[in-house]
Amino acid sequence: MKPETYEVSAGPGSQLYGLYVAAIATALGGNLLVRIAERAGWLGPAGRVGLAAVAVVPLIAGAVVFWRWLRRDLDEMVQRIVLEGLAFAFIIYLPIAALLVNLRTAGAWVPRLDPADMLLSPALLVAIGIVLAWRRVQ
Amino acid sequence: MTNRLSELRSSRGWSQGELAAALEVSRQTVNALERGKYDPSLPLAFRIARLFGRSIEDIFSPD
Repeated sequence: MKPETYEVSAGPGSQLYGLYVAAIATALGGNLLVRIAERAGWLGPAGRVGLAAVAVVPLIAGAVVFWRWLRRDLDEMVQRIVLEGLAFAFIIYLPIAALLVNLRTAGAWVPRLDPADMLLSPALLVAIGIVLAWRRVQ
Repeated sequence: MTNRLSELRSSRGWSQGELAAALEVSRQTVNALERGKYDPSLPLAFRIARLFGRSIEDIFSPD
């Protein structure tokens, strides 16, 4: 007897990645609003702290969804590809970040790291890592 | 590692998607297994062997 036809699409993963990028954008938007509010004297210190914290809530929700997706919904090969993508991002990001911090401490010129660089770089590195791992099994 | 997955699947007239459904993995995983690009975990290797009624050694062999 033939099993029912079954096709796994990359849809849920792409949607989740898109949601993650949107959550990062929300966090960055919150950061921007906090800076604007500080310069304009809006909200007060407690309000700005609240806004800064609320802007990160989508990322926390995304982390929960991501964890469930990784543990329950992916088959073993795709799970491995995603984990390799995360490992790639960690391995590349950490030494670069450490180098930039040390160079800045030593007084050398380093590119200015703003919140967008700090938040979007890991997301980009994860995407690159997943693509590299995916190409290896194709 | 080499395997006879493609041969065994063809002998049953199954598509990669149908085999994937039977094994509860993605079609991409079946494709990677058949092309020798991905080695399965032991639980998946047992599921494959059980599905085809063979031993793991009948299906998979080291290079």
